[in-house]
Amino acid sequence: MECSDLNMLPESCVSVILSLTSPPDACKSSLVSTTFQSAAESDLVWERFLPSDYREIVSKAGNDFKFSSKKELYLLLCSPVLISDGKMSFKLERSIGRKSYILSARELSITWSNDPMFWVWKSIPESRFSEVVELRTISWLEIHGKIRSKMLSPNTTYGTYLLLKVADRAYGLDVIPSETSVEIGNQAFNNTAYLCIQDSKKQLMENLFYSNRKQMLKSRVIEGDNRVLNKREDGWMEIELGDFFNGDGDEEVKMSLKEIKGHHLKGGLIIEGIEVRPKT
Amino acid sequence: MASTSKKIMFKSSDGETFEVEEAVAMESQTIKHMIEEDCANNEIPLPNVTSKILSKVLEYCKKHVDAADDKEKYPDELKAWDADFVKVDQNTLFDLILAANYLNIKSLLDLICQTVADMIKGKRPDDIRKTFNIKNDFTPEEEEEVRREYQWAYE
Repeated sequence: MECSDLNMLPESCVSVILSLTSPPDACKSSLVSTTFQSAAESDLVWERFLPSDYREIVSKAGNDFKFSSKKELYLLLCSPVLISDGKMSFKLERSIGRKSYILSARELSITWSNDPMFWVWKSIPESRFSEVVELRTISWLEIHGKIRSKMLSPNTTYGTYLLLKVADRAYGLDVIPSETSVEIGNQAFNNTAYLCIQDSKKQLMENLFYSNRKQMLKSRVIEGDNRVLNKREDGWMEIELGDFFNGDGDEEVKMSLKEIKGHHLKGGLIIEGIEVRPKT
Repeated sequence: MASTSKKIMFKSSDGETFEVEEAVAMESQTIKHMIEEDCANNEIPLPNVTSKILSKVLEYCKKHVDAADDKEKYPDELKAWDADFVKVDQNTLFDLILAANYLNIKSLLDLICQTVADMIKGKRPDDIRKTFNIKNDFTPEEEEEVRREYQWAYE
């Protein structure tokens, strides 16, 4: 055997090569030749693309979750999967295999949420979870969520978002900015957000009539970017709580939203959960 | 640990002999098993590996054995050496993959395969074929079926 070319490599070696590219590259390579197609199907390739804790994730997905190859598993996990008895939703980013989670409202700590005078638990068809929680009325709005950083993809910047809807009958949510925070290890990132959609005409009117009062209320809260709600593709709204860089350790990531300095009553907030997803 | 001055002898496909320290030879899992089974006392013939490739493989093994202690202190230096090591023509790359596969030297196999993988990343299938001189042996129907299955990879 004098000189070799790629055609002479055993299929297992082509699989090793493809496992070192990326999921889209492995799929495109399937079109090169029948050997490449066969090599690209190999479990060796897709095992490398799957997160290292995929067995644990599969065990949390319940008995109905079935697959016949690692490639099928990878592609299945790229669509949202309910895990841990439906308490959380999990998803892989298809192009790189980074992990994201959505914690359901039941997984969060919402102050006074077990008192039906303030918060009401219910099922709605628009939710991915069996329950959401709706705010009837309260003056003390405080929502906490947490997740272990080792569940997330290492060496990735993550964004954290509160997923919610604002009911038609909502009131008092945008009088004063809420304070948001993300803590990992001994680092904390604080910011502010208005629980409302950007509406320039409404803002103009409010500034005209209420600017003094708004200024006074705003001064009670820390300085921040005053983020607003953004529309999502799934019909929910989201407000960013903050972002952080996940190294490769295992620490608790704590996320929160608080509006406790306004002292006025607010209501009409429907909480779906908190999403932790990679920032591109 | 007492260092053995035991040497292992290899013979390439074109008749050249190479002598290395046992520790260097043991980078190959295949040779390691032979040594443990006490089958490595004479010359080990490697009819699949030419002298040109065998000398490169042994160069890699020796460097990595020598650098084992320094790897923690100077990881960048070893990385730079590896990056230089793979600057060879395509045919040599594939010969090295075959040799590393045959001799079961995982780190060398991963290194060369990563080099080839980097040549595949981001390329369209016909560019990959051109780069490596691969024949498209799909029928038009088969090709269309595969393309449809992986439509998402093009988004």
